[in-house]
Amino acid sequence: MSATPFDEMHNADGSIRDPYLILEEWLKDQPPQALGLMSADAESLFRRLGITFAVYGSNEGTEKLIPFDIIPRIISALEWRRLSKGIEQRVRALNAFLYDIYHRQEILKAGRVPEKLILNNSAFCPEMMGLDPARGVYSHIIGVDIVRTGPDDFYVLEDNLRTPSGVSYMLENREAMLQLAPELFQRYKVAPVETYPETLRRTMESVAPGGIHGAPNLVVLTPGIYNSAYFEHSFLADQMGAMLCEGQDLFVEGGKVFMRTTTGPERVDVIYRRIDDDFLDPLTFRPDSMLGVPGLFDAYRAGNVTLVNAPGTGIADDKAVYVYVPEIIEFYLGEKALLKNVPTYNCTNADERAYVLEHLEELVVKEVHGSGGYGMLVGPASTKAQREEFRKKILARPDNYIVQPTLALSTCPTFVDRGIAPRHVDLRPYVLVGDDVRITPGGLTRVALKKGSLVVNSSQGGGTKDTWVLED
Amino acid sequence: MQIAIRHRLSLAIGTGIARAVQHLLLTPRTGPTQTVREWSIDMPGFEAAASFVDAFGNRAHLVSQTRPEAELTIAVAGIVDTIDRNGVIGRLPGDIPPALYRRPTALTKPVGAITGRFRTVPKDGQDRIALLHALMARVSEVVGNGEQGQEQDGQGQAKAARPPAADFAHAFIGAARALEIPARYVTGYVLADDGPATFHAWAEAWDDGLGWIGFDPGLAVCPTDRHVRVAVGLDAVSTIPVRSVPVVGEPLVLAMSVEAAQ
Repeated sequence: MSATPFDEMHNADGSIRDPYLILEEWLKDQPPQALGLMSADAESLFRRLGITFAVYGSNEGTEKLIPFDIIPRIISALEWRRLSKGIEQRVRALNAFLYDIYHRQEILKAGRVPEKLILNNSAFCPEMMGLDPARGVYSHIIGVDIVRTGPDDFYVLEDNLRTPSGVSYMLENREAMLQLAPELFQRYKVAPVETYPETLRRTMESVAPGGIHGAPNLVVLTPGIYNSAYFEHSFLADQMGAMLCEGQDLFVEGGKVFMRTTTGPERVDVIYRRIDDDFLDPLTFRPDSMLGVPGLFDAYRAGNVTLVNAPGTGIADDKAVYVYVPEIIEFYLGEKALLKNVPTYNCTNADERAYVLEHLEELVVKEVHGSGGYGMLVGPASTKAQREEFRKKILARPDNYIVQPTLALSTCPTFVDRGIAPRHVDLRPYVLVGDDVRITPGGLTRVALKKGSLVVNSSQGGGTKDTWVLED
Repeated sequence: MQIAIRHRLSLAIGTGIARAVQHLLLTPRTGPTQTVREWSIDMPGFEAAASFVDAFGNRAHLVSQTRPEAELTIAVAGIVDTIDRNGVIGRLPGDIPPALYRRPTALTKPVGAITGRFRTVPKDGQDRIALLHALMARVSEVVGNGEQGQEQDGQGQAKAARPPAADFAHAFIGAARALEIPARYVTGYVLADDGPATFHAWAEAWDDGLGWIGFDPGLAVCPTDRHVRVAVGLDAVSTIPVRSVPVVGEPLVLAMSVEAAQ
């Protein structure tokens, strides 16, 4: 980790890095007002498409547009090959881990991961014990959050194995760029992301329960229009030609799942569910859930339907389990982890906690079960009062927090008020696991639009960029 | 001993309901202490039910009805041969790792009045069985006297009614888990010496040598050939015999008989 952030466009001597050479020329050729106009075009395009998101906890409670930056982020073919190999290794190991802890628990018996950390964890789902999901896959749809700190330095921040969102932005960002700057796609050979919905369909079909005649019937199960990602649910259903359902549209009869249609009940084989585990089925999980389908989990357990992703995958992306991922990779694959983990302080250890409390100003504190940038302290950007608040929180519940150094996130050229300036970015590539592991080249780049800011979450003022992976 | 069981339950579904589903844990499996000779469940929708083994190794059924009657009757009947093994179940094929049964749940919080005196007692090897027996005696005493919850009626008097079997089982399990000993909840039928037959609950605790061993703190005995095991789980919630959506109320026991079959 270096103190000065890695600039993805420029070498240290100011020269342009190879992947950005053509873009640099193109930017120079643009007349003065062109980028501003293009940015305005992009905004009206997204408004027309209706891509908005709701921010939880905001007073306005209104739908917002995630700002889109018109300058693409570019990754070379070689860089991507390395990165995707590391991602594939990680998702294979994490799926093997899920299979093991829901069966014989060899990794716990071997003492490589503390037993209590798993078995007493609220993200561990005892109801999943002994269940054999199709092809042994638990997490079919994964979004791995990655940051870059140098030419060859990639760190995994989080593995999202529950219901990662944002893939619709990846697709729409590409669509927008194709419209806004078609000439750039003639000069660059950019790997396509448009195949994602088709690949998602193939992945879901490959994990359908046995004994189905003809093509499996796929649906997307959404909590409904008030969910912040509802747009994405309907978008994905539409793109892959699956029905979009709410809990009330599905029912269980004779141990099988059916969808109500105008022409009568239709059997459902694979469900891409965007409802959290707790709300999936009031018969097995929270009895007060109005969002789920009564009996769904039992139908799954009986092998009559596949849930994508499986319940209980959250144990593998739990922040307290995160520190053990390199260990998990070695245990199941016998290989060293290709991608680095961010060093993480354990606040239940007195020495580490003392260090953390002394250095809150330089550190990032995350709630073990938090997400989306909520319940998080970014030391360098925090006020004294915020740090005091977190000091108390950590002392009260040391096991509820993990603490990491502030990484010098890489920067990419970004169009801002005063022209083009470097801004910090992260990357969420999307992985599909079924009959094979398929990683969409690129992913969602999130950019912190405020100068110097390291928080890229859309709920906290972040934007997105199209991400280009170049083909050889 | 051969035991004949008849158990009739009534479940209020409510009127005008389009669909109802139930998750049943009402089927005993053959094991070291029992052989199931006959078993039947009679209720609307049972022929089409999905039958499967749940996470804890129980035989479960998912039953559904379209436009059900307001009241659903479930009739369970069967004959089971039992033997007395002093409560020792041992290891069962397909059992999940015992460590899982150290997981605390809301219903199995340890009670200080019970666990306190066992904290420093040796609990491994030969000592474990003795400890578990002492624990059963203590649970039987504390819960039986109503000491643990200090529930009182309007006049500030401690309640006199004997607590349900679930309270004893939960207290035992909570204490065992607090001592790092895996313990699980068991539902089943018990043939009483006298008095009414019941759908009962007790506990099983883990010993590295003997495997699972039953303890019935409600009756202050290890299960004998008068006990028929039906289901195991983390606590009463994970072993509810009839779970239903929509939920209108607990199933009502219409009739129950558990008797020696000779």
